[in-house]
Amino acid sequence: MQATIPASTTEVRSKRQSRFNGRLTKGLLYLLLIAVALVTLFPFYWMFVSATHTQSDIFSAPPPLWLGDALERNYGSLLERIPFWRNLWNSVYVAVIATVTTLFFCSLGGFGFAMYQFRYKNLLFGLLVITLMIPGLLNIIPYFLIIQFLGWLNQPIALWFPGMASAFGIFLMRQYIASSISRDLMDAARIDGATEFRIYRSIVVPLIKPALGTLGLLTFIGSWNSFMGPLVVLRSREAFTLPLALRTLEGQIQADWGAIMLGTALAVLPLLIIFVFASRQVIEGLTAGSIKG
Amino acid sequence: MSSPQLPLSVRLDRFQRRFAPYLFVSPFFILFAIFGLFPTLFSIYLSFQAWNPVQGLGTMRFVGVENFAFLLEDPWFWQALGNTFWIAVVSGLPQHLVAIPLAFALVMGVRSLRHPLTAAYFLPFITSAVAVSIVFITIFGTHFGVLNQLIGVLANWPLTAWLFEGIRDQLPINWLGRAPYIKPAISILVFWQFFGFNVVLYSAALMTIPREYYEAAAVDGANLPQRFFYITLPLLRPMIFFAVTLTIIGNLQLFDQPFLLTGGTGGSGQAGLTVAMYLYRTGFEWLDMGTAAAMSWLLFLVIGTATFIHFKFFGRGGLETRE
Amino acid sequence: MKKLLVVTLLLVMGLAWAQTTKLSIGVFEPLNEHVVRVLPKFNELHPDIEVEVRTLGFMDHHNALVTALAVGSGAADVVAIEIGFIARFVAEGGLVDLAQPPFNAGQFEELFVEYAWLQSRTADGRQVALPTDIAPGVMYFRRDHLATVGADINQIISSWDSYLEYGRQLREHGVFLIADAASVASAIIRSDIPVGEGIYFGADGRPLLNSERFIQAATIAQRIRQEGLDAQIGAWSSEWFEAFRRGTVATELSGAWLAGHLETWMAPETAGLWGASEMPGGVLVSWGGSFYGIPTQSQQQEAAWKLVQFLTTNPEVQLEAFRTINAFPAMPVTYDDPMFEEPLAFLAGQQARLLFADIAERIQGIATHPGDMVAEEIFGSAMGQILNEGVAVETALNEAQTLVERRFRR
Repeated sequence: MQATIPASTTEVRSKRQSRFNGRLTKGLLYLLLIAVALVTLFPFYWMFVSATHTQSDIFSAPPPLWLGDALERNYGSLLERIPFWRNLWNSVYVAVIATVTTLFFCSLGGFGFAMYQFRYKNLLFGLLVITLMIPGLLNIIPYFLIIQFLGWLNQPIALWFPGMASAFGIFLMRQYIASSISRDLMDAARIDGATEFRIYRSIVVPLIKPALGTLGLLTFIGSWNSFMGPLVVLRSREAFTLPLALRTLEGQIQADWGAIMLGTALAVLPLLIIFVFASRQVIEGLTAGSIKG
Repeated sequence: MSSPQLPLSVRLDRFQRRFAPYLFVSPFFILFAIFGLFPTLFSIYLSFQAWNPVQGLGTMRFVGVENFAFLLEDPWFWQALGNTFWIAVVSGLPQHLVAIPLAFALVMGVRSLRHPLTAAYFLPFITSAVAVSIVFITIFGTHFGVLNQLIGVLANWPLTAWLFEGIRDQLPINWLGRAPYIKPAISILVFWQFFGFNVVLYSAALMTIPREYYEAAAVDGANLPQRFFYITLPLLRPMIFFAVTLTIIGNLQLFDQPFLLTGGTGGSGQAGLTVAMYLYRTGFEWLDMGTAAAMSWLLFLVIGTATFIHFKFFGRGGLETRE
Repeated sequence: MKKLLVVTLLLVMGLAWAQTTKLSIGVFEPLNEHVVRVLPKFNELHPDIEVEVRTLGFMDHHNALVTALAVGSGAADVVAIEIGFIARFVAEGGLVDLAQPPFNAGQFEELFVEYAWLQSRTADGRQVALPTDIAPGVMYFRRDHLATVGADINQIISSWDSYLEYGRQLREHGVFLIADAASVASAIIRSDIPVGEGIYFGADGRPLLNSERFIQAATIAQRIRQEGLDAQIGAWSSEWFEAFRRGTVATELSGAWLAGHLETWMAPETAGLWGASEMPGGVLVSWGGSFYGIPTQSQQQEAAWKLVQFLTTNPEVQLEAFRTINAFPAMPVTYDDPMFEEPLAFLAGQQARLLFADIAERIQGIATHPGDMVAEEIFGSAMGQILNEGVAVETALNEAQTLVERRFRR
């Protein structure tokens, strides 16, 4: 690097000044961003802290800002009021099955759309894209009627079965497969005698693992958090998923907010843990999807 | 004379090659037809009927456009529409106005903490609306909610007291109980939950802008704000377009948060009633499914119109691709 | 010989087990507490019937019931229905007419307070449910505030004007008359209803939202609000609980069951400071109540009927409900039980149950309408506008009237 000869002392001073300003700006920027992060995270902190306090402590001035000692008591109260572990299991069960089935059907379908030519392909795909724009709300009443017609009211299958045909999922898969799998690869496999399904199973699936991961995470999160669907088709406490169970807790006349906060914290915890480990994947998957889309 | 029959294995092979794509795509489409297409068509049909589900499927009565006429003259529908728009704008606009500078700061300014910070901002988005709403019910509590307690402290602290002069006699604010405050409360919650998602989207877009552009501009003497406005923003347009579209479509269908914050009622004077909530109540609590279906189509029209206007204003810039 | 005996025994046992009828009963909180407690007794009387209790929150239970009746399946064999919803099921069907054989519920008519019996009967005489508990409307008042002001309770409740006067006196001592002026309006619209009419709808089904009675109710509530006599607190909010604990409101209009809640969890530390009286202005209303019915889709209606009878016509069970969950019995015969003469410590030793019983027997029957719930919400909204946003009474009520008319256009 060439040594620059300062033309005058003012120039030296201004350069030092600007470097200092740069540092100051950067420091302030960090401060601001961290402050925003803290404010954003505060409700979570509050949730976990409240889970360890009694109701009267939660509703007091000043509010408790550190862990209390009512955890065990709240836990007992929580279990008295709702079949929490049963509800948790329901959420897990539905989310896992939804994820596995969605991944299978969407990747298979996306594969079909991406790598093959067949009649009506463009028409069907166009139809798919259009429905992406229709708000989900439109279907809630017919959804209820169909579930009722099938006799699936109050059953978990009502929650994971309809979601398997996710237009978003197949769209994502198609984009990814189209840009990751080459026809040559497929032809080579065909020459080796592989059936089309074999190609899917042994070649495509391993190659689209990142997209599967992203879609899987998004599906899992979506299923775990879904509220309106379960609200409409689940009728008995034992069948509730976590969001409904929490709402039951909150709506009780003799509400115990210590138990409510504990239940909420426990309901959020699994996703939190997944997110801590997979945050990069989730965020990057989303961004990759949105850029490609 | 017909050509000799090909061996079975070859025929089978050709069959599976020809029909494989159909087989791959059909399970998806069958499901889609049942749970995606049919409901849509059925709800169109339903919107022209009067139907109380308690009395069985056979009691549907054709009423033409009466449901639509009723809704268009229904004060509660217009109020719900107004509420929905208010919340959509008040929570949606800041989402983007805040997310863009934040993303800019994250991508351009700080390099090391970018991921943890982004993750922190994104966390509310992946949390269930029920959990979040419950927590915020306590935060919005009138006398003991954390928010009001904070406001109380700030209103008495000499440095910040001046900010609160106007509303001093309204303190402590009854966020969830009084009509003027319920919409702001919902908006705060929605903003909190979704701004991180937009930060992620904008960060992704910002990272695709080559550094050379900025360096070239810096050489030409552009300072930071100028670089932001003349390089970043224009190049960000496609992403802004995309993200705003998502916000419009999402916010206009808001259900979970207002439903939980108002306990399913819509709040004092229906101030917190969104169209989605009103639809749910009309169909599932008041058992007027025809009207509810009609409402969902009116909502679709509204969303479609808003999206159309949005496309018109940002459309060309949004659909352009960058070299 | 022995072998034959054993085989026969096994066969009989097997048959008996196969004969066990499995019943389900759907209830909302807190009825489940009571039902679960008395089930062993039911099992003693009917060892061949097994009962499963399904509990849901109040709204969820009723919404699920509506769905189940609509769908034709999924409802329990016996269902609890609260007074706000009973009209809907009375009108829309789906419940068995218990007046018919083999149930012949008509034989029980004399056992119940008249208005409760009428409430679960359709216009054409079908008895779709039996009452299990009622909620006589009472006023709870703080004795200490009464003493401070030096007033006499009977004088206060003699008319709404004197009630308001009490409020003004209380205000001078920094105490509120009542938590929410809207509850006064709710009480007034429920009183002095002509025979054959309902609260919100007339005999011909026409909404009454802007009739004299409603205007009077809203005006009195408005006065209370305008003079600053109420605390502007919504029922069941955390401020409401706080107000009871701290004693900042002097009276509350409610069902008799409120004392039970206050005593057990809302404000136990205020025991001994309260009293109960009739509502001001001679208002005699029902502020709640539950019924049991049998959905027509049930496959074991006879067994279900046994359970319904057990829960509703058995005085012991009724008194047990009163003890457990403060569910005031719908059967006047139970009012002779010594339990009713018990002085209630929470109410400073007042024999309040006798008061409740007296009120209960004097409440008049009113007709119900499937639209009652919606009308109540619209009325509540109108009251909110009048009290909170300062809208004129006539304007708000006319708007409410239009809303209800439109909603029930068909």
